[in-house]
Amino acid sequence: MNRAFFQHQWIAFWRSKNTGKSMAVSIVLGLTLLYFFANLLVLSFFLDKILEKVSPDRDAIESFNAILLYYFLVDLLMRFQLQELPTLKVKPYLNLPVGRNKIVNYLSLTSLWSGFTLSPFLLTVPFLLKVLVFEGEGTAFLSMVVSIAGLTIFNHFFSLWLKRKINMNAWFMVAFLVGLALVILGDFYLDAISISIVSRVAFNAIIEQPYLAILPVLTGFAMFYANQVFLKRNLYLDELRKERSTDNSVADIPFLKQFGMAGELAALEIKLILRNKRPRSTLIMSGFFMLYGLIFYPKGEPDGTIMIFAGLFMTGIFIINYGQFMFSWQSSHFDGILANKISAEDFFKSKFIIFTIFSSITLLLTVPYVYFGWRILLAHGMLYLWNIGVSSLIVLAFANWNYKYIDLSKGSSFNWEGVGASQFIVGLPLFLIPLFIYMLTKWILNPVAAMLMIGFIGLVFIVSRTFWINKLVNSFKAKRYTIAEGFRNH
Amino acid sequence: MIQIKSLIKSYGGIAVVDIPELLINKGETIGLVGNNGAGKTTLFRLMLDLIRADEGEIISKDENVAEGEKWKHYTTSFLDEGFLIEYLTPEEYFYFIGSLHGIGKAQVDAELVNYSDFFNGEILDRKKYIRDLSKGNQCKVGVVAALLQSPEMLLLDEPFANIDPSTQIRLKNLIKQISTEKQITTIISSHDLNHVTEVSERILLMEKGKIIKDIQTGTNTLSELEEYFSVMQ
Repeated sequence: MNRAFFQHQWIAFWRSKNTGKSMAVSIVLGLTLLYFFANLLVLSFFLDKILEKVSPDRDAIESFNAILLYYFLVDLLMRFQLQELPTLKVKPYLNLPVGRNKIVNYLSLTSLWSGFTLSPFLLTVPFLLKVLVFEGEGTAFLSMVVSIAGLTIFNHFFSLWLKRKINMNAWFMVAFLVGLALVILGDFYLDAISISIVSRVAFNAIIEQPYLAILPVLTGFAMFYANQVFLKRNLYLDELRKERSTDNSVADIPFLKQFGMAGELAALEIKLILRNKRPRSTLIMSGFFMLYGLIFYPKGEPDGTIMIFAGLFMTGIFIINYGQFMFSWQSSHFDGILANKISAEDFFKSKFIIFTIFSSITLLLTVPYVYFGWRILLAHGMLYLWNIGVSSLIVLAFANWNYKYIDLSKGSSFNWEGVGASQFIVGLPLFLIPLFIYMLTKWILNPVAAMLMIGFIGLVFIVSRTFWINKLVNSFKAKRYTIAEGFRNH
Repeated sequence: MIQIKSLIKSYGGIAVVDIPELLINKGETIGLVGNNGAGKTTLFRLMLDLIRADEGEIISKDENVAEGEKWKHYTTSFLDEGFLIEYLTPEEYFYFIGSLHGIGKAQVDAELVNYSDFFNGEILDRKKYIRDLSKGNQCKVGVVAALLQSPEMLLLDEPFANIDPSTQIRLKNLIKQISTEKQITTIISSHDLNHVTEVSERILLMEKGKIIKDIQTGTNTLSELEEYFSVMQ
């Protein structure tokens, strides 16, 4: 039976209408993933050197043992953020004579197929080989790897179980986050507990007495079993889904009324963003990008090109992140948009309104960076003008070439639905053009003038927006059948 | 009202719609029947300019629908759930649709009162998003949204398919009422021959993209259609 399931998923992948188009995407993603794994391997290989540098008075393996539990804590947090629940569509099987056990087993097994399962091993095995096997401690090596496998399994099924629990009852999330905060507080601020000591003692013991490796394995399997039992009891369509009721959290936004029809459409799109999972998580991720400046700015006033880059990202993150998937966000009701009395001009104007609102918010949020130098504020202001003038235009021009359907109800992390060539290409003009203009003007004049130049060009495009909207509308009218057709065939 | 001239739309070399000539008069109520794959939905989509015709044109009040947008002011439709904005509540959707035609909230509310029987208490004030409604209830939302805009031309694709018997009867009465009172040109496709012959004055029968019968509804229309469809088996 498992074979039939695997076969169905395999067929589903190849027969999905996006497969052909998304091959290029898969290849690029595959290469990125390989690169990432290679990095982990290299890091692991030199881990002993790094650890000796950090704490020279201790053995590498001692230091390693002391941080291992922290790693699994971070791993748990990352999984909590990024890991998706396995997506086999169980619905068509529930009414057939297929045992519940089989469905549940399949769900559990396939969920293991993920980078999260592989990375702990990539990160530790080369290191352990180096410091244990080459030192003649083969049994210790085995016991460590087995323990790591046990903890990985534990983390994996714990996060799946937790996510499902949270789907049914949001208080579990609160409990989890509070628990985590307490542990961190207790360890780093109150010195009440020390994960480091626990970790060192535990793994040192496992190295000395290899049979103790059975303990992490047992916890792993206990969690697996708990998850299994939970799934089996809750394999009902209505229970795995969250019970929804509307809260009408976004009422009308009167401020937008003054923009007429375009304002109505913008208000509609804000509801779209706040009421659906994928655009909402895109928005939240954009929020995190406000911290991007902390990477560069605290080191003293940065170079102009860095400011361009950081400013472009921070004040334009919404345009980039959300705009690159336009108009796929509306793919499920695109026919309605076309058939109703909505003019293409208003449709595009509403997009500019949305972009301006969110870019303004991000500009305000990044004002505190002025603490690190007034030039940063200048750069952000100028790039804000650039973003709402030019970046938004670029993104919308590409939107006319985007025919991919997006399911709004799925999360955005590791979700490649709607990703196509246009998302890869759009990045080039977005980043290269402002950088080029900056460098050129700086070379002719000076850095401040170059910054002002960027803002000025942005302003010119804002003022001449009607002209550009007409261009967009013409291209949209030529492409509308293809776009609608692509959205219909998902 | 509507004039179709040598319209052809084909997929993979097979014509799914092939109508050399068709005239639809103002105020007519037309039933569109035919088996699956006859081209009914494709014809609707062509009339709404959602897909590009390979050849020919559809003229609505002297305007080619693929070129102008004036027809959108008086043509409303409900083909499938793809016309609904699924993350809105029905009320929000009605207000939005109203705003497209400059109809204010109060006026929408007043208008909705007329449909309270049709809604049967399942649509308004339920605090549910459209995506969480059943197919039948989504259909009710779509049909009423189309009617709210006081159209001159109304297109409905299989409106009877997902709704319960009481609502089917109410919908029939609604259609009969608007076609006599408001002189709306209406095209309705359906697989239910009883319903469709009851509400329409004229029946178009499609087969493999062609309109093979164009009849004014009379006393023996139903038996004529039943005969056609049973021979098909």
